[in-house]
Amino acid sequence: MDRQEVTRRIIHVDMDAFYASVEQRDNPDLRGRPLAVGGAGRRGVVAAASYEARRFGVRSAMPSVTAQRKCPDLVFVRPRFDVYRAVSAQIHAIFARFTPVIQPLSLDEAYLDVTNPLQAYPSATAIATAIRAQIHDETGLTASAGVSYNKFLAKLASDYRKPNGQFVITPRMGPDFVANLPVEDFHGIGPATAARMHALGIRTGLDLRTQPLSRLLRHFGKAADFYYGIARGIDERPVEVNRPRRSVGAERTFDADIHEWVGAQAAIADLSERVWGRCLTRGLTGITVTVKVKYNDFRQIVRGRTEAEPVRDAPDLGQRAMDLLAPCFPPRRGIRLLGVTVSGLREAGEEPAPRQLALFG
Amino acid sequence: MKLKADRVTLLKALAHIQSVAEKRNTIPILANVLINVVDGAMTLTATDMEIAVVERVAAETLRDGAVTAPAAVLYEIVRKLPDGALVELDHAGGDAPLGLRAGRFATSLNVLSVDDFPSMMAGSLPHEFRIPATVLRGLIDRTRFAISTEETRYYLNGIFLHVAEGDAGPVLRAVATDGHRLARVETDLPAGSAGMPGVIVPRKTVGELRKLLDEGAEQVDVTLSDTRIQFSIGSITLTSKLIDGTFPEYERVIPHGNDKILRVGKKIFSDAVARVAAISQERSRPVKLSMTPNLLTLSAASQDQGTATEELDENHVSYDAAPIEIGFQARYLNDITDQVEKEVEFAFSDSSAPTIVRDVDSPSALYVLMPMRV
Repeated sequence: MDRQEVTRRIIHVDMDAFYASVEQRDNPDLRGRPLAVGGAGRRGVVAAASYEARRFGVRSAMPSVTAQRKCPDLVFVRPRFDVYRAVSAQIHAIFARFTPVIQPLSLDEAYLDVTNPLQAYPSATAIATAIRAQIHDETGLTASAGVSYNKFLAKLASDYRKPNGQFVITPRMGPDFVANLPVEDFHGIGPATAARMHALGIRTGLDLRTQPLSRLLRHFGKAADFYYGIARGIDERPVEVNRPRRSVGAERTFDADIHEWVGAQAAIADLSERVWGRCLTRGLTGITVTVKVKYNDFRQIVRGRTEAEPVRDAPDLGQRAMDLLAPCFPPRRGIRLLGVTVSGLREAGEEPAPRQLALFG
Repeated sequence: MKLKADRVTLLKALAHIQSVAEKRNTIPILANVLINVVDGAMTLTATDMEIAVVERVAAETLRDGAVTAPAAVLYEIVRKLPDGALVELDHAGGDAPLGLRAGRFATSLNVLSVDDFPSMMAGSLPHEFRIPATVLRGLIDRTRFAISTEETRYYLNGIFLHVAEGDAGPVLRAVATDGHRLARVETDLPAGSAGMPGVIVPRKTVGELRKLLDEGAEQVDVTLSDTRIQFSIGSITLTSKLIDGTFPEYERVIPHGNDKILRVGKKIFSDAVARVAAISQERSRPVKLSMTPNLLTLSAASQDQGTATEELDENHVSYDAAPIEIGFQARYLNDITDQVEKEVEFAFSDSSAPTIVRDVDSPSALYVLMPMRV
């Protein structure tokens, strides 16, 4: 089939400050106030911040102490995952009126392929408008939407008029839209990759587009194809229905190799907070914790452990990760990268599962 | 070999036989039934190398001989023949196919060499006793639900049959456990069994034996060594290997001194458990029992579906000990109450300790059930 003929229509729907908006919806006292959903404690992490809080620089996955420093009036509420999941199911049901091809990314975000919608609409833009209106009518919450011809651009577009807005990137606009974008704003290019691109003189989409594929391959390995494509506004990834997430993780490459336990401890604590922040935004926790160690000779080891109880919070995750890392110290060589991953995922906020006791101890 | 047999007689025997014959087909000969006519007497034999069933079948035998043919196919054919049909089996010997005729129906089945059919040698079986079929049935029915299916603990994959010291002298005991619950049922020591070793009868053998016990024979002759057991039930002989392992010392997990006693009608209790448990599709969700004097509250909750409770008051329940709450898997509760005739008695200690369950009218059975931590 000729690719020209099958221009897809993809919508990325993203709820606006989802957890915080639900809390403000359900508790009028919280409306108009800077609000963070998450633990207020010393090791707490912000799972979501209201727009009032974001004005102070409060962001999700930020340590609660940092958030409190940025915004002394910040109000913390504990997450209510049952409620978020219920609202998420409502939103999902709305999506399903328009298309069966839905890929949820988290409780508050999804890709929809509306190339062949269930009902006739004049345009994908009209569908996005209808979805946002129905979400508002039925949940009292606002959503933003991005409409484009692939997932990468649809996601970029949904950020463009946030909150409570929508934006379309047409096939004609796509390449120019990407050209002006700093690489660190590309979804799929993380801080570490962005830093390496900067070092190579690649700062914008246009810079990226002028790179020969061979050079990208040399520096970025198997991710090069993806970067080469998105720099041209091309992203062929399909909207994947039923693609459950298997793990939540983060890793960090260090400017200077780590040799000492103290340095590793700090890095693990930091990574654990980031990973737990990501778990919180997805309403997930897990029973398996894995630590990845890459040495300066690029050899890497992975250590993991599965426990009966799911990870409770960031300090718990940090402790499990450090228990796994401790036997690797002192390291044979410098450590250039550490990673922490949670898998064996399950929904957070569940009561601990009842456990059958054994007769023979 | 040549014989004529009544369809119903043949079908019944083939039903026993094909259930033992190997269905996974890894060794083709094990899927076959051995049809043997010696001195005018016909027997059918099937084995999966763990169990062997030999059954004498009434037939008009015309010529001695032996042949093996696919058990499942033969069973299906005979099953589909009309009622009252007379089945003629005719085998010329060697590799010749087995001919089967009934009325105007005729089939020709491929055979495998009789020499390749494995014989399960029972060896010498020094211990021998006779037990009424109803008693053996009672031992099996009230224990088999607790047999473990976990293959790593292979020594729990059967019923432990052994002689033990009961409250009033030695008894024959059947015990099964899966590590969460335990069933212990005993009967008067049959003559001849006193010196027998404790043996673990595998689950599949228990299942086959149980079916054969419904065939009308009143007595079962049991012979055994410490590696094999044989049951003779009317015209059928079932021989089985025993599980080569050590059954755990189960007596130490049976609590003594559980003093919080609940008595409740079996039917009303098991119906309430089933109703309350219907709120959750998860197999391992607990049903919580909350007892206060003469009041039993059953409850269950599911995160997605909601909650359910049912109260049973003094009309159905007697309880006069300190209040207690304890959770059990609904399936485990019902597996046990299924074995109870009219009234069930629970003896609790606390919410995380093993609970004793009994049939008030049948002291020969005792069940131990481990709660869930809720």
